[in-house]
Amino acid sequence: MIRIRHEGCILCAGCASVCPTGALELVGNKIEYYPEKCIKCGTCVKVCPAAVIRLEKEAKK
Amino acid sequence: MKSDYDIIVIGGGPAGSTFARIAAKEGREVLVIDKRKEIGNPVRCGEGLGAKEVVDMGLDVPKQAISENILGAKIIAPNGKAITWKEDSGSTGGWVLERKIFDKWLCELAVDEGAEIRTYTRATDLVKENGKIAGVKIKQWGNDEHEIRAPLVVSAEGMEAQIARKAGFNTVHKLYDVDTCYQYEMKNYDSEKMIELYFGNKIAPRGYVWVFPKKDKRANVGIGIGGATVNGDKHGIPGAEPKKLLDDFIKNHEQLKDASTLDDFGGVISVGAPLDSFVTDNFMVIGTAAKQVDPLHGGGITLAMEAGALAANTALKAKEKGYTKDSMMEYEETWKKTSGDAVNKRLKLRHVLEKVTDDDINHIFNVITPEDLNKITSGNFAETVAKVVAGRPQLVGILGGLLKK
Repeated sequence: MIRIRHEGCILCAGCASVCPTGALELVGNKIEYYPEKCIKCGTCVKVCPAAVIRLEKEAKK
Repeated sequence: MKSDYDIIVIGGGPAGSTFARIAAKEGREVLVIDKRKEIGNPVRCGEGLGAKEVVDMGLDVPKQAISENILGAKIIAPNGKAITWKEDSGSTGGWVLERKIFDKWLCELAVDEGAEIRTYTRATDLVKENGKIAGVKIKQWGNDEHEIRAPLVVSAEGMEAQIARKAGFNTVHKLYDVDTCYQYEMKNYDSEKMIELYFGNKIAPRGYVWVFPKKDKRANVGIGIGGATVNGDKHGIPGAEPKKLLDDFIKNHEQLKDASTLDDFGGVISVGAPLDSFVTDNFMVIGTAAKQVDPLHGGGITLAMEAGALAANTALKAKEKGYTKDSMMEYEETWKKTSGDAVNKRLKLRHVLEKVTDDDINHIFNVITPEDLNKITSGNFAETVAKVVAGRPQLVGILGGLLKK
Protein backbone atom coordinates (compact mmCIF):
# COMPACT_ATOMS: atom_id res chain seq x y z
CA MET A 1 0.00 0.00 0.00
CA ILE A 2 1.03 3.58 -0.50
CA ARG A 3 -0.43 6.52 1.33
CA ILE A 4 -0.83 9.93 -0.25
CA ARG A 5 -1.13 13.03 1.91
CA HIS A 6 -3.52 14.76 -0.46
CA GLU A 7 -3.43 18.12 1.32
CA GLY A 8 0.22 18.51 0.28
CA CYS A 9 -0.29 17.23 -3.27
CA ILE A 10 0.32 19.75 -6.04
CA LEU A 11 -1.48 17.62 -8.65
CA CYS A 12 1.54 17.30 -10.92
CA ALA A 13 0.72 13.64 -11.60
CA GLY A 14 4.41 12.77 -11.65
CA CYS A 15 3.55 9.62 -9.71
CA ALA A 16 1.16 8.55 -12.45
CA SER A 17 3.81 9.21 -15.12
CA VAL A 18 6.31 6.80 -13.60
CA CYS A 19 3.90 4.19 -12.25
CA PRO A 20 4.61 1.04 -14.27
CA THR A 21 1.16 -0.44 -13.69
CA GLY A 22 -1.21 2.52 -13.94
CA ALA A 23 -2.14 2.33 -10.26
CA LEU A 24 -2.16 6.12 -9.96
CA GLU A 25 -4.15 8.54 -12.06
CA LEU A 26 -5.03 12.21 -11.96
CA VAL A 27 -8.81 12.49 -12.14
CA GLY A 28 -10.16 16.02 -12.00
CA ASN A 29 -8.48 17.60 -9.01
CA LYS A 30 -7.31 14.48 -7.19
CA ILE A 31 -4.83 11.66 -7.58
CA GLU A 32 -6.75 8.40 -7.55
CA TYR A 33 -4.98 5.30 -6.26
CA TYR A 34 -5.99 1.80 -7.35
CA PRO A 35 -4.39 -0.50 -4.73
CA GLU A 36 -5.31 -3.65 -6.64
CA LYS A 37 -2.92 -2.60 -9.45
CA CYS A 38 -0.09 -1.47 -7.13
CA ILE A 39 3.08 -3.60 -7.01
CA LYS A 40 4.65 -1.54 -4.19
CA CYS A 41 7.76 -0.69 -6.23
CA GLY A 42 8.07 2.73 -4.59
CA THR A 43 8.90 4.65 -7.78
CA CYS A 44 6.13 7.15 -7.10
CA VAL A 45 7.55 7.76 -3.62
CA LYS A 46 10.93 8.71 -5.09
CA VAL A 47 9.61 10.92 -7.85
CA CYS A 48 7.05 12.96 -5.90
CA PRO A 49 8.42 16.53 -5.84
CA ALA A 50 6.29 17.38 -2.82
CA ALA A 51 7.30 14.21 -0.92
CA VAL A 52 3.71 13.40 0.04
CA ILE A 53 3.71 9.70 -0.90
CA ARG A 54 4.85 7.02 1.53
CA LEU A 55 5.07 3.26 1.25
CA GLU A 56 3.22 1.64 4.13
CA LYS A 57 3.61 -1.80 5.56
CA GLU A 58 0.51 -3.98 5.30
CA ALA A 59 -1.64 -3.69 8.40
CA LYS A 60 -1.37 -6.76 10.64
CA LYS A 61 -4.48 -8.87 10.59
CA MET B 1 -24.32 13.53 -27.35
CA LYS B 2 -22.59 12.36 -30.50
CA SER B 3 -20.74 9.08 -30.29
CA ASP B 4 -19.14 8.83 -33.75
CA TYR B 5 -16.28 11.03 -34.92
CA ASP B 6 -13.55 11.01 -37.53
CA ILE B 7 -10.86 11.56 -34.91
CA ILE B 8 -10.70 11.38 -31.11
CA VAL B 9 -7.87 13.33 -29.46
CA ILE B 10 -7.04 12.46 -25.85
CA GLY B 11 -5.66 15.52 -24.05
CA GLY B 12 -6.30 19.23 -24.56
CA GLY B 13 -2.74 20.50 -24.10
CA PRO B 14 -0.74 22.26 -26.85
CA ALA B 15 -0.21 19.04 -28.89
CA GLY B 16 -3.86 17.93 -28.82
CA SER B 17 -5.43 21.30 -29.46
CA THR B 18 -3.01 22.03 -32.33
CA PHE B 19 -3.84 18.70 -33.94
CA ALA B 20 -7.58 19.28 -33.43
CA ARG B 21 -7.49 22.80 -34.89
CA ILE B 22 -5.79 21.70 -38.11
CA ALA B 23 -7.90 18.58 -38.59
CA ALA B 24 -11.18 20.38 -37.84
CA LYS B 25 -10.32 23.18 -40.22
CA GLU B 26 -10.26 20.64 -43.05
CA GLY B 27 -13.72 19.44 -42.13
CA ARG B 28 -12.89 16.43 -39.96
CA GLU B 29 -15.21 15.79 -37.04
CA VAL B 30 -12.88 15.93 -34.06
CA LEU B 31 -13.55 15.28 -30.39
CA VAL B 32 -10.97 16.35 -27.80
CA ILE B 33 -11.36 14.96 -24.30
CA ASP B 34 -9.42 16.19 -21.28
CA LYS B 35 -9.52 14.64 -17.83
CA ARG B 36 -8.94 17.95 -16.08
CA LYS B 37 -11.80 20.11 -14.86
CA GLU B 38 -10.37 23.11 -16.65
CA ILE B 39 -8.13 23.27 -19.72
CA GLY B 40 -4.66 24.44 -18.70
CA ASN B 41 -5.19 23.95 -14.99
CA PRO B 42 -3.28 22.87 -12.93
CA VAL B 43 -0.16 24.27 -14.56
CA ARG B 44 2.67 21.74 -14.50
CA CYS B 45 5.33 23.75 -16.25
CA GLY B 46 7.83 26.61 -15.97
CA GLU B 47 5.88 28.38 -18.72
CA GLY B 48 8.95 29.43 -20.73
CA LEU B 49 8.77 29.28 -24.51
CA GLY B 50 10.80 30.37 -27.52
CA ALA B 51 8.60 32.93 -29.25
CA LYS B 52 9.97 32.53 -32.76
CA GLU B 53 8.72 29.01 -33.35
CA VAL B 54 5.17 29.91 -32.36
CA VAL B 55 5.16 33.08 -34.45
CA ASP B 56 6.45 30.99 -37.38
CA MET B 57 3.38 28.78 -37.05
CA GLY B 58 1.30 31.80 -37.98
CA LEU B 59 -0.39 32.06 -34.60
CA ASP B 60 -1.24 35.43 -33.14
CA VAL B 61 -0.87 34.77 -29.43
CA PRO B 62 -3.14 37.05 -27.37
CA LYS B 63 -1.39 39.59 -25.16
CA GLN B 64 -2.85 38.28 -21.94
CA ALA B 65 -1.32 34.83 -22.60
CA ILE B 66 2.18 36.34 -22.68
CA SER B 67 3.23 37.26 -19.19
CA GLU B 68 6.65 38.63 -20.05
CA ASN B 69 8.84 39.22 -23.08
CA ILE B 70 12.26 37.82 -22.30
CA LEU B 71 15.41 39.59 -23.45
CA GLY B 72 17.90 36.83 -22.74
CA ALA B 73 19.26 34.39 -20.23
CA LYS B 74 21.68 34.51 -17.37
CA ILE B 75 23.37 31.24 -16.48
CA ILE B 76 24.98 31.10 -13.07
CA ALA B 77 27.77 28.71 -12.04
CA PRO B 78 28.08 27.21 -8.54
CA ASN B 79 30.69 29.88 -7.62
CA GLY B 80 28.31 32.65 -8.65
CA LYS B 81 29.91 33.61 -11.94
CA ALA B 82 27.26 34.40 -14.53
CA ILE B 83 27.27 34.16 -18.29
CA THR B 84 24.79 36.53 -19.87
CA TRP B 85 23.30 35.64 -23.20
CA LYS B 86 21.13 38.25 -24.92
CA GLU B 87 18.96 38.01 -27.99
CA ASP B 88 20.06 40.10 -30.98
CA SER B 89 18.13 43.32 -30.87
CA GLY B 90 15.05 43.16 -33.04
CA SER B 91 14.71 39.40 -33.05
CA THR B 92 11.80 37.71 -31.35
CA GLY B 93 13.15 36.32 -28.12
CA GLY B 94 11.36 34.21 -25.58
CA TRP B 95 8.20 34.44 -23.61
CA VAL B 96 7.09 33.44 -20.18
CA LEU B 97 3.49 32.43 -20.67
CA GLU B 98 0.38 32.32 -18.60
CA ARG B 99 -0.23 28.67 -19.46
CA LYS B 100 -3.81 28.66 -18.22
CA ILE B 101 -4.69 31.38 -20.70
CA PHE B 102 -2.44 30.05 -23.48
CA ASP B 103 -3.77 26.48 -23.37
CA LYS B 104 -7.37 27.58 -23.20
CA TRP B 105 -6.85 29.94 -26.13
CA LEU B 106 -5.36 27.12 -28.23
CA CYS B 107 -8.40 24.98 -27.43
CA GLU B 108 -10.75 27.82 -28.32
CA LEU B 109 -9.06 28.09 -31.73
CA ALA B 110 -9.83 24.40 -32.27
CA VAL B 111 -13.45 24.93 -31.26
CA ASP B 112 -13.65 27.91 -33.64
CA GLU B 113 -12.67 25.53 -36.44
CA GLY B 114 -15.41 23.10 -35.46
CA ALA B 115 -13.76 20.71 -33.00
CA GLU B 116 -15.67 19.63 -29.91
CA ILE B 117 -14.02 19.62 -26.49
CA ARG B 118 -15.18 17.85 -23.35
CA THR B 119 -13.45 18.50 -20.03
CA TYR B 120 -13.48 16.38 -16.86
CA THR B 121 -13.65 13.43 -19.23
CA ARG B 122 -11.09 10.69 -19.19
CA ALA B 123 -10.41 7.84 -21.56
CA THR B 124 -10.56 4.58 -19.65
CA ASP B 125 -9.78 2.07 -22.39
CA LEU B 126 -9.42 1.47 -26.10
CA VAL B 127 -12.36 0.16 -28.08
CA LYS B 128 -11.37 -2.55 -30.55
CA GLU B 129 -13.26 -4.09 -33.42
CA ASN B 130 -11.89 -7.19 -35.15
CA GLY B 131 -8.61 -6.54 -33.35
CA LYS B 132 -8.35 -3.00 -34.70
CA ILE B 133 -8.54 0.21 -32.67
CA ALA B 134 -11.95 1.72 -33.30
CA GLY B 135 -12.42 4.29 -30.54
CA VAL B 136 -12.16 4.77 -26.80
CA LYS B 137 -14.26 4.24 -23.72
CA ILE B 138 -14.79 7.50 -21.92
CA LYS B 139 -16.00 8.47 -18.49
CA GLN B 140 -17.25 11.98 -18.05
CA TRP B 141 -17.63 13.10 -14.44
CA GLY B 142 -21.19 12.39 -13.32
CA ASN B 143 -22.02 10.23 -16.37
CA ASP B 144 -21.72 6.53 -17.05
CA GLU B 145 -18.78 5.13 -18.95
CA HIS B 146 -19.57 4.70 -22.63
CA GLU B 147 -17.96 4.10 -26.01
CA ILE B 148 -17.04 6.74 -28.54
CA ARG B 149 -16.03 5.56 -31.97
CA ALA B 150 -13.56 6.93 -34.47
CA PRO B 151 -11.21 5.36 -37.03
CA LEU B 152 -8.31 7.41 -35.64
CA VAL B 153 -7.39 7.89 -31.97
CA VAL B 154 -4.65 10.39 -31.12
CA SER B 155 -2.87 10.25 -27.79
CA ALA B 156 -1.84 13.72 -26.66
CA GLU B 157 -2.01 12.55 -23.07
CA GLY B 158 1.17 14.11 -21.78
CA MET B 159 3.38 12.40 -19.21
CA GLU B 160 0.92 9.74 -18.05
CA ALA B 161 -0.07 8.40 -21.48
CA GLN B 162 -2.13 5.48 -20.19
CA ILE B 163 -4.11 4.88 -23.37
CA ALA B 164 -0.97 4.97 -25.50
CA ARG B 165 0.37 2.24 -23.21
CA LYS B 166 -2.70 0.17 -23.95
CA ALA B 167 -2.07 0.70 -27.65
CA GLY B 168 1.35 -0.88 -27.22
CA PHE B 169 3.68 2.09 -26.76
CA ASN B 170 6.26 2.05 -23.98
CA THR B 171 5.23 5.30 -22.32
CA VAL B 172 6.38 4.37 -18.82
CA HIS B 173 9.17 6.68 -17.65
CA LYS B 174 12.23 5.34 -15.87
CA LEU B 175 13.38 7.35 -12.85
CA TYR B 176 16.67 8.11 -14.59
CA ASP B 177 14.83 9.61 -17.55
CA VAL B 178 12.76 12.14 -15.62
CA ASP B 179 13.40 15.29 -13.68
CA THR B 180 11.19 15.97 -10.72
CA CYS B 181 10.26 19.62 -10.28
CA TYR B 182 8.79 21.83 -7.59
CA GLN B 183 7.89 25.40 -8.30
CA TYR B 184 6.49 28.54 -6.71
CA GLU B 185 4.88 31.48 -8.36
CA MET B 186 6.36 34.36 -6.37
CA LYS B 187 6.01 38.10 -5.94
CA ASN B 188 7.82 40.68 -5.40
CA TYR B 189 10.64 40.11 -7.81
CA ASP B 190 12.31 42.93 -9.74
CA SER B 191 13.61 41.29 -12.87
CA GLU B 192 15.79 42.43 -15.75
CA LYS B 193 13.48 40.46 -18.06
CA MET B 194 16.11 37.75 -18.20
CA ILE B 195 15.53 34.15 -17.33
CA GLU B 196 18.03 32.95 -14.74
CA LEU B 197 19.34 29.40 -14.51
CA TYR B 198 21.42 28.34 -11.51
CA PHE B 199 23.63 25.26 -11.78
CA GLY B 200 25.44 23.20 -9.20
CA ASN B 201 25.19 19.78 -7.65
CA LYS B 202 24.50 21.25 -4.22
CA ILE B 203 21.81 23.62 -5.53
CA ALA B 204 20.11 21.13 -7.83
CA PRO B 205 21.73 17.71 -8.36
CA ARG B 206 21.66 16.83 -12.07
CA GLY B 207 19.37 19.75 -12.77
CA TYR B 208 19.00 23.44 -12.14
CA VAL B 209 17.00 26.15 -10.45
CA TRP B 210 15.18 28.59 -12.70
CA VAL B 211 13.74 32.05 -12.19
CA PHE B 212 11.34 33.00 -14.97
CA PRO B 213 10.04 36.57 -14.61
CA LYS B 214 6.36 37.29 -15.18
CA LYS B 215 4.39 40.52 -15.27
CA ASP B 216 3.43 42.50 -12.17
CA LYS B 217 6.69 41.58 -10.41
CA ARG B 218 5.80 37.90 -10.34
CA ALA B 219 8.19 35.07 -11.19
CA ASN B 220 8.11 31.31 -11.51
CA VAL B 221 10.87 30.03 -9.27
CA GLY B 222 11.41 26.33 -9.66
CA ILE B 223 13.78 23.46 -9.31
CA GLY B 224 14.19 20.33 -11.37
CA ILE B 225 16.47 17.53 -10.20
CA GLY B 226 17.25 14.15 -11.68
CA GLY B 227 14.62 11.58 -10.75
CA ALA B 228 17.27 9.05 -9.75
CA THR B 229 19.05 11.53 -7.47
CA VAL B 230 16.09 11.99 -5.16
CA ASN B 231 16.51 11.14 -1.52
CA GLY B 232 15.40 7.66 -0.61
CA ASP B 233 16.65 5.80 -3.65
CA LYS B 234 19.72 3.71 -2.92
CA HIS B 235 21.58 5.80 -5.50
CA GLY B 236 20.01 8.96 -4.16
CA ILE B 237 21.68 11.93 -2.59
CA PRO B 238 20.81 12.49 1.09
CA GLY B 239 18.70 15.59 1.47
CA ALA B 240 17.84 15.82 -2.23
CA GLU B 241 14.15 16.61 -2.16
CA PRO B 242 12.98 19.17 -4.69
CA LYS B 243 10.89 21.27 -2.33
CA LYS B 244 13.54 21.35 0.41
CA LEU B 245 16.31 22.27 -2.02
CA LEU B 246 14.18 24.99 -3.54
CA ASP B 247 13.35 26.40 -0.11
CA ASP B 248 17.09 26.45 0.69
CA PHE B 249 17.86 28.25 -2.55
CA ILE B 250 15.22 30.90 -1.88
CA LYS B 251 16.40 31.42 1.70
CA ASN B 252 19.87 32.25 0.36
CA HIS B 253 18.74 34.45 -2.53
CA GLU B 254 19.16 38.18 -2.00
CA GLN B 255 15.79 39.21 -3.46
CA LEU B 256 13.66 36.11 -3.26
CA LYS B 257 14.11 35.49 0.45
CA ASP B 258 11.64 38.27 1.19
CA ALA B 259 9.21 37.47 -1.65
CA SER B 260 5.79 35.92 -1.16
CA THR B 261 4.52 32.70 -2.72
CA LEU B 262 1.26 32.82 -4.70
CA ASP B 263 1.09 29.24 -5.93
CA ASP B 264 2.76 25.89 -5.34
CA PHE B 265 2.99 23.73 -8.40
CA GLY B 266 5.32 21.35 -10.14
CA GLY B 267 5.64 18.31 -12.25
CA VAL B 268 7.71 15.47 -13.47
CA ILE B 269 9.21 15.96 -16.89
CA SER B 270 10.68 13.62 -19.42
CA VAL B 271 14.35 14.23 -20.19
CA GLY B 272 15.03 10.92 -21.90
CA ALA B 273 14.81 9.68 -25.46
CA PRO B 274 11.62 9.95 -27.53
CA LEU B 275 9.56 6.81 -28.19
CA ASP B 276 10.92 4.49 -30.89
CA SER B 277 7.74 4.88 -32.89
CA PHE B 278 4.78 7.24 -32.81
CA VAL B 279 2.20 5.49 -34.98
CA THR B 280 0.40 2.21 -35.32
CA ASP B 281 -2.78 1.29 -37.18
CA ASN B 282 -5.55 3.77 -36.29
CA PHE B 283 -3.44 5.38 -33.55
CA MET B 284 -0.95 8.23 -33.23
CA VAL B 285 1.05 9.53 -30.27
CA ILE B 286 2.07 13.22 -30.18
CA GLY B 287 3.86 15.62 -27.86
CA THR B 288 5.00 14.71 -24.37
CA ALA B 289 3.08 11.41 -24.59
CA ALA B 290 5.62 10.46 -27.29
CA LYS B 291 8.41 11.82 -25.03
CA GLN B 292 9.02 14.58 -27.56
CA VAL B 293 10.63 16.82 -24.97
CA ASP B 294 13.90 18.75 -24.93
CA PRO B 295 16.19 16.60 -22.76
CA LEU B 296 18.31 19.58 -21.71
CA HIS B 297 15.67 21.81 -20.18
CA GLY B 298 12.56 19.64 -20.24
CA GLY B 299 10.62 22.12 -22.38
CA GLY B 300 7.91 20.56 -24.50
CA ILE B 301 5.42 23.18 -25.69
CA THR B 302 7.03 24.00 -29.03
CA LEU B 303 7.87 20.39 -29.82
CA ALA B 304 4.30 19.43 -28.94
CA MET B 305 2.77 22.03 -31.24
CA GLU B 306 5.12 21.14 -34.10
CA ALA B 307 4.35 17.44 -33.71
CA GLY B 308 0.61 18.18 -33.45
CA ALA B 309 0.72 20.08 -36.74
CA LEU B 310 2.87 17.50 -38.50
CA ALA B 311 0.70 14.61 -37.30
CA ALA B 312 -2.53 16.39 -38.28
CA ASN B 313 -1.32 17.09 -41.80
CA THR B 314 -0.27 13.47 -42.17
CA ALA B 315 -3.59 12.23 -40.78
CA LEU B 316 -5.55 14.36 -43.25
CA LYS B 317 -3.90 12.48 -46.10
CA ALA B 318 -4.18 9.08 -44.39
CA LYS B 319 -7.97 9.05 -44.16
CA GLU B 320 -8.59 7.43 -47.53
CA LYS B 321 -6.04 4.74 -46.71
CA GLY B 322 -7.91 3.86 -43.55
CA TYR B 323 -5.34 5.36 -41.14
CA THR B 324 -3.01 2.39 -41.50
CA LYS B 325 0.40 2.57 -39.87
CA ASP B 326 2.08 2.82 -43.27
CA SER B 327 -0.11 5.72 -44.33
CA MET B 328 0.86 7.66 -41.19
CA MET B 329 4.60 7.00 -41.18
CA GLU B 330 5.28 10.34 -42.83
CA TYR B 331 4.70 12.05 -39.48
CA GLU B 332 7.14 9.79 -37.68
CA GLU B 333 9.83 9.89 -40.35
CA THR B 334 9.67 13.65 -40.78
CA TRP B 335 9.78 14.23 -37.04
CA LYS B 336 12.82 12.03 -36.59
CA LYS B 337 14.70 13.81 -39.38
CA THR B 338 13.96 17.31 -38.05
CA SER B 339 13.15 17.74 -34.36
CA GLY B 340 14.34 14.24 -33.50
CA ASP B 341 17.84 14.92 -34.70
CA ALA B 342 18.13 18.03 -32.50
CA VAL B 343 16.66 16.21 -29.52
CA ASN B 344 19.20 13.39 -29.83
CA LYS B 345 22.13 15.81 -29.90
CA ARG B 346 20.83 17.51 -26.79
CA LEU B 347 20.32 14.16 -25.10
CA LYS B 348 24.00 13.41 -25.64
CA LEU B 349 24.85 16.74 -24.06
CA ARG B 350 22.65 15.98 -21.06
CA HIS B 351 24.30 12.62 -20.47
CA VAL B 352 27.70 14.32 -20.44
CA LEU B 353 26.73 17.31 -18.32
CA GLU B 354 25.34 15.19 -15.51
CA LYS B 355 28.79 13.69 -14.96
CA VAL B 356 30.64 16.94 -14.26
CA THR B 357 31.46 18.22 -10.79
CA ASP B 358 30.83 21.72 -9.46
CA ASP B 359 34.54 22.54 -9.95
CA ASP B 360 34.23 21.41 -13.57
CA ILE B 361 31.19 23.65 -14.07
CA ASN B 362 33.05 26.61 -12.57
CA HIS B 363 35.92 26.00 -14.97
CA ILE B 364 33.61 25.65 -17.96
CA PHE B 365 31.82 28.91 -17.10
CA ASN B 366 35.19 30.63 -16.86
CA VAL B 367 36.28 29.80 -20.39
CA ILE B 368 33.13 29.69 -22.50
CA THR B 369 31.33 32.62 -24.08
CA PRO B 370 27.69 33.18 -25.08
CA GLU B 371 28.67 32.20 -28.65
CA ASP B 372 29.92 28.87 -27.34
CA LEU B 373 26.52 28.36 -25.70
CA ASN B 374 24.83 28.94 -29.04
CA LYS B 375 27.09 26.39 -30.67
CA ILE B 376 26.78 23.63 -28.11
CA THR B 377 23.02 23.90 -27.69
CA SER B 378 22.67 23.47 -31.44
CA GLY B 379 24.91 20.41 -31.44
CA ASN B 380 28.29 21.81 -32.57
CA PHE B 381 30.54 20.68 -29.77
CA ALA B 382 34.07 20.45 -31.18
CA GLU B 383 35.51 23.97 -30.75
CA THR B 384 34.02 24.52 -27.32
CA VAL B 385 35.13 21.14 -26.04
CA ALA B 386 38.69 21.83 -27.24
CA LYS B 387 38.68 25.15 -25.40
CA VAL B 388 37.38 23.67 -22.15
CA VAL B 389 39.66 20.64 -22.19
CA ALA B 390 42.76 22.77 -22.88
CA GLY B 391 42.54 24.19 -19.36
CA ARG B 392 41.24 21.08 -17.63
CA PRO B 393 42.61 17.93 -19.27
CA GLN B 394 40.88 15.65 -16.75
CA LEU B 395 37.63 16.43 -18.58
CA VAL B 396 38.83 14.72 -21.77
CA GLY B 397 37.26 11.44 -20.75
CA ILE B 398 33.85 12.94 -20.05
CA LEU B 399 33.58 15.60 -22.74
CA GLY B 400 35.26 13.43 -25.38
CA GLY B 401 31.96 11.53 -25.54
CA LEU B 402 30.39 14.55 -27.21
CA LEU B 403 32.69 14.22 -30.20
CA LYS B 404 31.93 10.59 -30.96
CA LYS B 405 29.48 9.95 -33.75
